[in-house]
Amino acid sequence: MSSILLENKKGFEALLMGNDAISRGALEAGVSVVTGYPGTPSSEIVEQLAKVAHARNLYVEWSVNEKVAMEVAAAGSYARLRSMCVMKQVGVNVAADSLLHIAEYGIRGAMVLVSCEDPGALSSTNEGDSRPYAKMMEFPLLEPGDFQEAKDMAKWAFELSEDIRSIIMLRSVTRLSHASGNVTMGELPVVSPGARFECSGTPMDQMIGPILAFPTLIDSQRRRQLEKLSKAAAAFEKSPFNTYTGPEKPELLIIASSACQLYVREALSILDLWSRVGLLKLGTTWPLPQKLLGKHLSINERVLIVEEGTPFLEDNIKVLAAENAKQVGIKTFFGRKDGTLPPVNELNPDLLINGINHILGTTYQPVSDAYSSKAKRITAVGAPDRELTFCPGCPHRASFWLIHDVFKLDNRSGFLCGDIGCYSLGAAPCGFSTIKILQAMGSGTGMASGFGKLDQFGMEQPVMAVCGDSTFFHAVMPALVNAVHNQSDMILTVLDNSGTAMTGFQPHPGTPVGATGISLPMVDIEKLCRAMGIQVEVSDPFDLKGTRKIMLDLLENGGSPRVLILKQPCALSPGKKGEKKFEMSIDETLCLADQCGCNRFCTRVFKCPGLIWNTEKKITQIDEVLCVGCGVCADICPTGAIIAGEAR
Amino acid sequence: MNTIESRSTQRKLVDGMQINGEVNLNKGGKSPQGQQGINTKVLKQGLCTGCAACVDLCPSTEYYKDNIILLHECDLVRGRCYDYCPRTPTDFEALRRALFDPRDMIPELGAFKGLYMTRAADKAVRTGAQHGGTVTALVQLALGEGLIDEAVLSDHDEQFLSTAQAVVDGDGVFGSAGSKFVVSPTVSAFTRSSQINPGKIGVVATPCQALALAKMKVNPALEDEIRMEKLGLVIGLFCGWALDWRRLQNLLQEKVGDTWIAGIDILPSKHACMEVYTEDKTIKVPIQEVTTCVRENCSYCFDMTCEFSDISVGSARSSEGWDVDKGWNQVIVRTALGEKLIARAREKGVLEFKEIQDTNIEKLKKASVGKKRACLLNLAKKTGSRDDLVYIDPEDPVVQYIRTLSSMQQLN
Repeated sequence: MSSILLENKKGFEALLMGNDAISRGALEAGVSVVTGYPGTPSSEIVEQLAKVAHARNLYVEWSVNEKVAMEVAAAGSYARLRSMCVMKQVGVNVAADSLLHIAEYGIRGAMVLVSCEDPGALSSTNEGDSRPYAKMMEFPLLEPGDFQEAKDMAKWAFELSEDIRSIIMLRSVTRLSHASGNVTMGELPVVSPGARFECSGTPMDQMIGPILAFPTLIDSQRRRQLEKLSKAAAAFEKSPFNTYTGPEKPELLIIASSACQLYVREALSILDLWSRVGLLKLGTTWPLPQKLLGKHLSINERVLIVEEGTPFLEDNIKVLAAENAKQVGIKTFFGRKDGTLPPVNELNPDLLINGINHILGTTYQPVSDAYSSKAKRITAVGAPDRELTFCPGCPHRASFWLIHDVFKLDNRSGFLCGDIGCYSLGAAPCGFSTIKILQAMGSGTGMASGFGKLDQFGMEQPVMAVCGDSTFFHAVMPALVNAVHNQSDMILTVLDNSGTAMTGFQPHPGTPVGATGISLPMVDIEKLCRAMGIQVEVSDPFDLKGTRKIMLDLLENGGSPRVLILKQPCALSPGKKGEKKFEMSIDETLCLADQCGCNRFCTRVFKCPGLIWNTEKKITQIDEVLCVGCGVCADICPTGAIIAGEAR
Repeated sequence: MNTIESRSTQRKLVDGMQINGEVNLNKGGKSPQGQQGINTKVLKQGLCTGCAACVDLCPSTEYYKDNIILLHECDLVRGRCYDYCPRTPTDFEALRRALFDPRDMIPELGAFKGLYMTRAADKAVRTGAQHGGTVTALVQLALGEGLIDEAVLSDHDEQFLSTAQAVVDGDGVFGSAGSKFVVSPTVSAFTRSSQINPGKIGVVATPCQALALAKMKVNPALEDEIRMEKLGLVIGLFCGWALDWRRLQNLLQEKVGDTWIAGIDILPSKHACMEVYTEDKTIKVPIQEVTTCVRENCSYCFDMTCEFSDISVGSARSSEGWDVDKGWNQVIVRTALGEKLIARAREKGVLEFKEIQDTNIEKLKKASVGKKRACLLNLAKKTGSRDDLVYIDPEDPVVQYIRTLSSMQQLN
């Protein structure tokens, strides 16, 4: 398979996405084991490395969840291989328990944890910041500031990891992972690793002893860990990834990391302030390079700290300034905490300009008042309403239609606990606002297990959880076992669309392939549930009538956990090959349109984008380009005006 | 009555949101509304009768297990659901004028052409029925005589959940015999059947269902004109109250657990109990426990004898006591069609007739007035005002009459 990542000319320059740059860095470092769990904005790293797995003799897997991914990667490291584990910020929480132990013990072959984070939660259920883990669990943290650095720092992370025998976290953000820039490549090494786990030494010997997190060993492991951190700090003092640009004695020092340093550069250029303001760009953000920071702090009175996520740098630099107050003097700090910059969400050059205006009294307006008020006025009336929605023919639309209806019919104020996937949109109007609780992966089933035990306190509402097939394996299984063992009165509906659809059809244990495309045995959700001793029903969500009956029966026969598996591949799934099952058409004589009896039921309530309202003819119409011919709308039309004909 | 043209104009006006006084078909200054009105003014107020007149008109409303469920929100400013509901503001006087001969009107009982005591001549019919089997015999006769092509009847499943369906022959009628204690979605069955079938349809209806059918018949929406021409006969059922199915289920569960129940019956008031028949025994449930299962809306019902029917039937209550007339029905004939039907029944010998005492009508009137008076008191209590009777116009002559009667009795 040809991939730009395999180009082996030193000095070759290519336009690379941040995630590809990280992948390339790992290849240049001679990585052998790559694991991860898909999640935006991290998914491309494992995907791209899976493509070159054969050519570069890598072992690449999509693990069942981030914790297991961490453990599989650690196994590689403990067998003296270089390994990398990739996830989004949410996943680091899942992996945290293992991460703490791996950090505390140390590693053998290099091990790098790549966390691609999502400031502003553009495609996440939270705006988590994983950087505090580095401080809390005491391991080094690197934050590349551009695309070249993404590649170079990824490579360096492996070298540093092996030098100090500690796991290293490389943190990226959406704007770095998903944007592209020119990257000059290095060489791809010849790797001839021999995997072997040594355990012949004493438990005190990090490299050849058994790896044991025993209470009696913790004291020495912690001391060893702190030594590693000191070594990292020393390396960071002279790291080329920490740079200063600006005058010798600026009026304002800006300290920034990651993509934020790009926003600062842009803002300073727009404001023409490079002669007055200095930028200290940090690539190594834990442990902080104390001497470097001390030097810059002592010559600046005012310091603006620019970062996305929590005020991680800000708090730690303030601590440093306090500890060294005698040398560096009293400082005025600006950042996310004092309101110079907004405390949440992504930053951008405009926000930076506003912040710098606030400190220096400059007056440049990134967006003029006249423009913003006009834009506000026009968008309020003129911008078309484009709410989030499921794709045409998405099985989730049918599933949520059914769940919505049966809860209504059941009439006991039943509610749905959601989970993480495209189907999180079940909380939005396109999913008929069915989901009422949405938090972490697996939480829906865990909470349903809890709600289902509250009958002794008078809870009469039936409770259902939904999860996707990938999520089922990721975190739902333990919650379901909990529900079974404790005989919780709940229903789990598995929306099985045959792949990790939201992040791009990565395989999971329920699919018959692995990350690199090899055939693997699939784990059968239905059999698993039956083995747990649960009543299991399987249905096709496109069979509205049949599935509705099953759901109503399940709702009424409570008392213990029940599982319903709704099987229908994603409309975009490669397996469907874009083929239409039905050719849809409208019998205009039967369409009730906007009269009492319909009130545009299909386009107003069901709202599949494949159905459109013809404003001139005042009638429903099929959008032949968008419609995928699933046929579900034919079953929701009360007069049979929507016809599911034979596909041409 | 409105003409087709005027109604369609009115509908357009409403659709264009130009509601004005003239559009208002309902007396009492209440504007026409849609599903939101059904939700806030009927369902949430505990007024829903479960007649299912709002069901099967559109995909947003469904009947499920004794409940009317609004599945999806409809934002039309006017809907047939609201227009046809027997608990939205109703001009009773207009309905009476449109459907009956004004000379027949009796305030206590509605249109009245005669009172009879009857029972089915066929013993087999009587055995299957709770009382005299008159309804079964009349439906079979109407079908047999071609007066109607099908009949919408209610039945119940093993859990006493009422169902409604159209039948086309006498055997089907037979299967549906017997009293039901849970209201059935009868009007929706009529709506469904009249959508598909071309012939005349007879409906066996409770007072609330008959009122909905009367509203539909007298003021049909344009799209329902043809449908309502198919309504060929309404046989009404006397009704004191109906039970809420879920509460009944819970009560039965409490009394007999999972034991199979062959049937239930509520005995005349002096016995003060419901009987539950299992395979090998009869369990008596005190009436006080049964009445806790009565639907809330039944206390707001103004009609015991099913006044908006062609002919209405109930169990006989003669002044001499229950046992004297056990196994007989009382029948009020209200329209010419009802008269024709009872005459044919006599002619064909499908009904047996028993001489009726003058005291019977007085007893019936008294019971009916009792129901009406309780309804008015309950509605006034609900709204906090004698002048707001929710769906009934306080100016309605029957309301005025009942109030006059009450004040006179108080004076006495």
